[in-house]
Amino acid sequence: MVNLLYTELLKLKRSKMFFISILGASVAPILIVVASFLHLKTKTNAEPILFEELFFQGNLYTVIIIGVPLYGVVTAYLFIREYLEDTLKNLLTIPVPRFSLIICKSILLFLWIMLLTMFTWSITLGLGVLFQFEGLSASLVIHSFRQFLLGGALLFVLSSPIIFITLWLKNYVPTIICTIVITLMNVMASNSEHRDLFPWAAAGDIATNSMLSTYPAMYSYMIIGVISVVGWVCTIFYFNRVDVN
Amino acid sequence: MSVILKTTNLTKVYGNQTSVDQVNLNVKQGDIYGFLGRNGAGKTTTIRMLLGLVKPTFGEIEIFGENFFTNQKEILRRIGSIVEIPGFYENLTGKENLMINAKIMGVKKKQALDEALELVGLEHETKKLVGNYSLGMKQRLGIARALLHYPELLILDEPTNGLDPIGIKEMRKLIKNLATERNITIFISSHILSEVEQLVDHLGFIHEGRLLEEVSYHTLKLKNKRYVEFQVSNENKAAMLLEKHFDIFNYEVREDKIIRVYSHIGEQAKINRLFVQHDVDVSKMYLSEDRLEDYFTSLVGGGTIG
Repeated sequence: MVNLLYTELLKLKRSKMFFISILGASVAPILIVVASFLHLKTKTNAEPILFEELFFQGNLYTVIIIGVPLYGVVTAYLFIREYLEDTLKNLLTIPVPRFSLIICKSILLFLWIMLLTMFTWSITLGLGVLFQFEGLSASLVIHSFRQFLLGGALLFVLSSPIIFITLWLKNYVPTIICTIVITLMNVMASNSEHRDLFPWAAAGDIATNSMLSTYPAMYSYMIIGVISVVGWVCTIFYFNRVDVN
Repeated sequence: MSVILKTTNLTKVYGNQTSVDQVNLNVKQGDIYGFLGRNGAGKTTTIRMLLGLVKPTFGEIEIFGENFFTNQKEILRRIGSIVEIPGFYENLTGKENLMINAKIMGVKKKQALDEALELVGLEHETKKLVGNYSLGMKQRLGIARALLHYPELLILDEPTNGLDPIGIKEMRKLIKNLATERNITIFISSHILSEVEQLVDHLGFIHEGRLLEEVSYHTLKLKNKRYVEFQVSNENKAAMLLEKHFDIFNYEVREDKIIRVYSHIGEQAKINRLFVQHDVDVSKMYLSEDRLEDYFTSLVGGGTIG
C-alpha cells in the first residue's frame, strides 16, 4: 500500500493540475482580503474588519462556493486519469487490487484537499497580516486552522458521490456539472432555515460553527454520513464489478 | 510440453451480442502462440478475460495449471502483458513510468529498469517525456514494462499495431529473442497472419467469437505447401520418370491418376515435356497458389478485412 501511494504521488510529477488547484485554492482568500481592504479604505467611518471575520468568510466561501467544484475537479483528475491515459489495464494486470487502488487514490485525494485547505488558510493569514487587519491572536490562529481543516475534511467525506459519478461516467463534464449544481444549491439554500439538511451546506455551517437551530445538529451529521457511506459503497461495488474495456 | 494456458468454453456476452463464444484455447509452455482473427473477431475481449480485466459470462481459465479466478493475483504476477496500445503517464519519462510498475511489483533488482529499456532500445531516451514518444516507442516501452518482472508468460495484443514496416520487423525479432533466450511462453494476437507466421509455433483462428481451428504451424505449412499437380495417363510411370530424371522424391500419388509434386516449383514445363516425351499424356496441370494468408481468408469466410 505504501508503494502504491508512492506511485500515486510520482504520477503527479510535472502535473499542471497541482498548480492549477493551488491557484484555485487561493481565489477565495485573495478576493475576501482584497474586498475587505478596499471596503475599509473606501468607506468613511467603516467598522473595522477583524481577522476573525476574514477567517470566517475565507472558510465559508471555500467550503460553500469554491471547494466543491475545485475539489471535484481534483477528484475527477485523480480517478479518471487511469481511464483517460489508458493506464488502468496496466495497473490491474500488475496486479493492483481494485479496492487498494480506490483506497490509495482516496488517501491522496484527502491529502490533496487538506493541503489546499492549509494553503487557503495560510494565504488568508498571510494577506491579512500584509494588509494589517486587526484582532490576530494565537488562539484565533489555532481555532481558525482547526475550522479550516474541519471544512476540508467534511468536503473529503462528501467527495464519495463525486468519485462514483466520475468512475461511472468516466468524463470530467458530468463531474463538473454535478459540482456546479451542488454549489448552486448551496447558494440557494444559504438563506433557508432548512439549509442544514443539505449535506454540503451543512458542512459549511459545521466548519464555520454557524449551524441553525431549526433541526438538531445530529440530523446534519447523519445526512452527511449517509451520503458519504452510500457514495463509498456505490464506488467500491461498481469499480470491483465493472469490466475494463 | 505441458499446457500453460487453457480455457474451457470461455464466453462473453454483452447484451444480445456474444463477443466470445465457447473458446477452448490450449497454449503449451515455451510456445509462441498466434491468436488470429479479423478486427472485432473477439481477440481483445478474450485477452482481457485472460488478464482479469473483463469478467467472462461463463467458462473457465486455467493458467500455470491453476484456476485463474481463485488465484488471479498470484497468476498475474507471473504474466507480462500489452493490451492494444499501451497507456502511459505522459507527464513522466519512460523510466519513471517503468518505476511505477517496479515499485508496485516489488522489483528489487536495481538494474532492472535499465536492462528493460536497453532490451527494447530506449536506453538513451531517459529524459524524454512519454508524451513526446512516437507510437513505436510507446509499443517498445510497453514491452519493456511487460518484461520488467521476468514473466513466464507474455500476452501481447496486436503489439505491431501502428508500427511501420521496420518497427514491425524489429518487434518480431524482439519477440523471437524473448522466446528463445528467456524461454518465455508468448501468446500474441494479430489480424495479419503474415506478421506472425514467421514467429509462431501454434495458431488459433478466431472468427465472430468462435475459435475455428487450433493448429501447429508445422501442420499448417504442410496443409498449405505449394505444389504442382499433374493428371496423367499413367501415374506409376510418371512417378518413375520424376525420380529418374529430376531426382524428385517429394511427391504424392493421389486419386484419379493425379500426381502432386512438392518440389521443383517453376519447372512444371520441363516436367510436362518429360512426361509427353515418354508417352505419358498430361490431361491437366495445376499450380497451387495457396499461401497461409489465403488459408486464413478461406477459413474465416473471406470478405473484406474488418
